[in-house]
Amino acid sequence: MFILIVMCVGVLIGHFLFPEKLKRTNEIFQIICTLTLIFAMGFSLGSDENFFQKLFSLGLESFLFFLIPSGCSLILVFFLTKRFFKSHAKEKETEKK
Amino acid sequence: MTILAILALVGGVLCGSLHLHNVVLDFLTSHEDLILNCLMLSVGISIGLHKGIVQKIRQYHVKIFIIPIGTVIGSLLGGLILSFFTKYGLGENLAIASGLGWYSLSGVTLENLGNATLGSIAFLSNLMRELFSFISIPFVARHFNFYSCIALAGATSEDTTLPMMMKYTNEETVVLSVINGVLCSAVVPVLIPFFMGWGI
Repeated sequence: MFILIVMCVGVLIGHFLFPEKLKRTNEIFQIICTLTLIFAMGFSLGSDENFFQKLFSLGLESFLFFLIPSGCSLILVFFLTKRFFKSHAKEKETEKK
Repeated sequence: MTILAILALVGGVLCGSLHLHNVVLDFLTSHEDLILNCLMLSVGISIGLHKGIVQKIRQYHVKIFIIPIGTVIGSLLGGLILSFFTKYGLGENLAIASGLGWYSLSGVTLENLGNATLGSIAFLSNLMRELFSFISIPFVARHFNFYSCIALAGATSEDTTLPMMMKYTNEETVVLSVINGVLCSAVVPVLIPFFMGWGI
């Protein structure tokens, strides 16, 4: 929940205070933060002594538990949004025209 | 960006497995929350710069819950399908599928509930979900729709995969993505013990 508050503060800053000309700088900052986070995530994974051992012994089962639930989520949301968010898509198309 | 992300991940794993330690590495790894908050502030600024976004989000009303509901039900459906093919019980399959990409919490929770193997599978499968969604967001955004990227990311759609959403979707999807991430993150700690409690 804290993360949502931080983002809302950012929205207010962006809406009322942040200069438009610094938009690109803000985007570069996001990329730097992202890469740093991914690096830190990799670091903590690599620090786990059993990480590679776990990966090799339970790899196939884990792959199935990743693939099937993720795939089902993706397909279900795709069809649900295609069905229920149709009006928004149409509105956007109209806006573009 | 995807290549840079993979390089960062591989570099991190290598540095971690070699147990490299210096002031910079120690700072980065011990201040992940701070970096994430900086990122969220920056993402918020990007959204704030996009005028008219609030009106667009308001148009969704209760439909805003369609994506998180679809994400959770889809994952559980996947767990149900897997219960026909794996040696684990229905509750255990559903518990693993309930991780929704939050690998650290799902792995630890299942281990604490007494099953180290299930904990390891939950850890790895949800880690794969996070990594795969990170890499595949550009493809999914192009060939499915922007909302499908959120479903794939699951609980991680509010943090780690968010920058990819930012890059390959639009501000509106980013807001929906954060809402989805918050809701999914809220249900993960509830669903895992619930399904493990089934004992089947």
